Amino acid sequence: MKTRYFLIPVIFLFCALPVFSLTVLAKEQASSDQPSSKQTFIKIQEVDSASGLKAWLVEDHSVPVISMQFGFKDAGSKQDSADKQGLSQLASNTMDEGAGDLESQAFQGELENLSIHLSFSSGRDHFSGELKTLTRNKGRAFELLNLALMKPRFDAEPLERMRVANISRVKGSMTQPDWIASRIQNDKIFEGHPYALNSGGTLTSLKKITADDLHTFMKRLGRNNLRVAVAGDITADELKVELDKIFGSLPQATLPESAPFTVTHPGKTYFHEKDIPQTVIEMSQGGISRKDPDYQIAQVMNFVLGSSGFGSRLTEEVREKRGLTYGIFTYFVDYEDTQVLHVSTSTATSNVNEVIKITREEWKKMIDTAISEKELKDAKNYLIGALPLSLTSTDKIAGLLISIQMDDLPIDYLDQRQQKIEATTIADVQRVAQRLLKPESFTTILVGKKEGIEGAEIVTTLPNVE
Amino acid sequence: MNKSYVFLFLVFSWFTALPALASGRAFAKEPLSGQKVSTEKVFNAKTFTLDNGLLGVVVENHSVPVVTHMIWYKVGAADETPGKSGIAHFLEHLMFKGQSYPGLGKLGPGDFSKIIRSLGGNDNAFTSQDYTAFFQTIASKHLETVMRMEAGRMRGLNLPKDVVDAERLVILEERRQRIDNDPRARFDEQMNEALFPNHPYGTPIIGWFHEMEGLTWEDATSYYKRWYAPNNAILVVSGDVTVDEVKALAQKTYGLIPRVDVPKRARTVSPPFIAKTSVKMTHPVVQEPVFVREYRVPSARENLKDSLALQVLEEIMDGGATSRLYKDLVVEKKVASSVNLSYVSFAWDDSTLSISAVPMDGLTPEQAETAVDDELRTLIKDGVKEEELKDAVLRLQAQAIYARDSVTGPAMVVGYTLVTGSSLDELETWPQLIEGVTAQQVQDVAARLLDPDKPTQTPYVDGYLYPPAKEAEAAPKTQETGQK
Repeated sequence: MKTRYFLIPVIFLFCALPVFSLTVLAKEQASSDQPSSKQTFIKIQEVDSASGLKAWLVEDHSVPVISMQFGFKDAGSKQDSADKQGLSQLASNTMDEGAGDLESQAFQGELENLSIHLSFSSGRDHFSGELKTLTRNKGRAFELLNLALMKPRFDAEPLERMRVANISRVKGSMTQPDWIASRIQNDKIFEGHPYALNSGGTLTSLKKITADDLHTFMKRLGRNNLRVAVAGDITADELKVELDKIFGSLPQATLPESAPFTVTHPGKTYFHEKDIPQTVIEMSQGGISRKDPDYQIAQVMNFVLGSSGFGSRLTEEVREKRGLTYGIFTYFVDYEDTQVLHVSTSTATSNVNEVIKITREEWKKMIDTAISEKELKDAKNYLIGALPLSLTSTDKIAGLLISIQMDDLPIDYLDQRQQKIEATTIADVQRVAQRLLKPESFTTILVGKKEGIEGAEIVTTLPNVE
Repeated sequence: MNKSYVFLFLVFSWFTALPALASGRAFAKEPLSGQKVSTEKVFNAKTFTLDNGLLGVVVENHSVPVVTHMIWYKVGAADETPGKSGIAHFLEHLMFKGQSYPGLGKLGPGDFSKIIRSLGGNDNAFTSQDYTAFFQTIASKHLETVMRMEAGRMRGLNLPKDVVDAERLVILEERRQRIDNDPRARFDEQMNEALFPNHPYGTPIIGWFHEMEGLTWEDATSYYKRWYAPNNAILVVSGDVTVDEVKALAQKTYGLIPRVDVPKRARTVSPPFIAKTSVKMTHPVVQEPVFVREYRVPSARENLKDSLALQVLEEIMDGGATSRLYKDLVVEKKVASSVNLSYVSFAWDDSTLSISAVPMDGLTPEQAETAVDDELRTLIKDGVKEEELKDAVLRLQAQAIYARDSVTGPAMVVGYTLVTGSSLDELETWPQLIEGVTAQQVQDVAARLLDPDKPTQTPYVDGYLYPPAKEAEAAPKTQETGQK
């Protein structure tokens, strides 16, 4: 269901800071960057069902709304084969297009008329889903979710319709320079790993996916790789029973073990020509795992370097002092098999080399010199103090809980995180900077006009798009 | 699949989690049929007014110790001096560049956001045609600090001149990133200009590139001094705080600023349309054709009754995967791979209702247009069924419940509503007002406002965006180059 009556299109709004920054920060907070709580603000209960399923729950009965988020570990697009790229994506779009005795329009009609939000999504590692319902419709909401998981129909009409929608999405993306840059980046830094494939599918591969493929896909979703997080107007006792009703009859899933992978093509620059006035720049190098003992220190470093928007060193140097960009951000992505540190920005054609040069200089500065007391203090205050900002709605809370579970982190992760951040010293930050930051190892992707581009390998055909 | 995921190409991205209800003032006196006696309010907001004219609104939510603090100025891009397009937005950027006001402290360039971050908060600002808003979300214990800082830049902007040149480059980069790099955004810009001749809404909020290049410190400060004032602003706070606390803090901070004489808004008016208007563009990077139509229709402030009927019409035509346009064009007739109808009710002057469709592979935008027109003709001729109406109303009302599951959302909704001239009462009773809309009203607004066979009855513009002709099919001399 659409909820746009309550929304204003961002195209009408021009912000002081790119909205991108907020979404990146919000995502990072929800997925990997959560200031700790000492459980002051939320009480996480572990709920065990009779059949042995587990869920994490934060009860909040102030609004009659229940948010449930769930994920299936390692069931995402990395399991899709090269000739069926987009399988997980297409499954996520089609699972709620008819299930059990309900054909597509009947199933969607029930969701809409009961104002139930049900959606599935596929990441590179995991497959996940989200259910949000008014308390008064929870019974039917849980039944419809169970149907979508256990008895998706994958009828010919909706499958074809979703295929067409995805092909249209790919064609639309082909006009977006930032999407093009990301596509080339994934193709290069993950070369040799399934992460390099186009998780959304190619124009050719999407056409090859059959209903049988989708039914086979469903075997990836098992009791054993399921994680569930719930927030809102439901009690632990009630959830205990519902868990078995919704997820109890899932099979055991057998998925290949993941193997560590190191990002490839360090130090190379790739260029794709587009006749646009502003060049998109995506730089990346190896990152750090959320399970690494230095992870929280790396977050402090990243805050100072480039994740914080106004006040970060890169924003100061590139935007505030020189006016070279509307936004420049750094962020970590922690995949199951590898880790990446990204820098994203864009600038007018003539400034590309200068922006890259400044970025490298800031990398070196972070390695060579200690951050200031004030920088350390501000970063800690933000990272710890912004925790409650991520707990302001039931879906935000459920999203935070599921992100912790998908990474197999403990239920007291937030407490541990706070302690680690509080204990971080200036010397720690420099040690971690020296360990992680490798300015000579950037893989750089440029999409824009040719003038001034030197030493770059030219990419003419977009990889895994057609 | 949630239908809205299909629309990624249709460019409307949304500012996440910003619920916004609509209603209006113009028809407040007119009784609305079918209004229910239910007195439950959507947000139960509390208000106060300071002696200097600042209106304060508070929505309490004590679930987490967080507040969202917003100040909304009743001025935007549509109030700019001709030739200075983009100054409202440029000023919004410059508002982060330094301030000094007696009793409210002094900040250097960039300090504002850095202090907010160091207190564990997030901040931003946005500019629209009719308003400019600044906001922070932060632990509630820091509310006083935030209010002091925000009040300090209401009349105390103190810009070092050298920051203006760098920031001008930033807004030009912003324009390149959001508009000039994207052929669809440039196409929409020209559609909009055609829809609002001789009206400031036809000028892009971010400004025309050639005018942005010439914006000066003097332009920004003169606009600022004229419009930014306590009596031309609305303070909205939602979250873990009470109205008494906010009022006391507001008196200590915003209360220090005297009332200012603010000019009355003077907006030029468009002449009637006498001819059917369309915008056509062929562009080398476009991969799929699109048909877009934009109508000028009443906003909530201009005509609450029509606006409510249009909101219900929007839900019936395009609320989701089982609503009329999607079901008929995408599921059954297979004319389009996606279709979208959207109406934004909050505007000071006319609102825009837009319809767009991506034709199925092998079909043209004109064929998609025909299918859309047929849907509109059916709606105008046969109206809507009572059951369709009832379902649509229920779905809309559910959104009002979901809207409460948020801290920032309610502040946004309250702000949009009040700053575009609607009343708090209309917001609080929106579920009942929606319930009062009749099938006859929906059919009536369709006939009066959306009739495709009466192109000059309501101003509208048709847009056709084409990919380049395929080489095999295109005769060399007819190859279109399009606008760039």
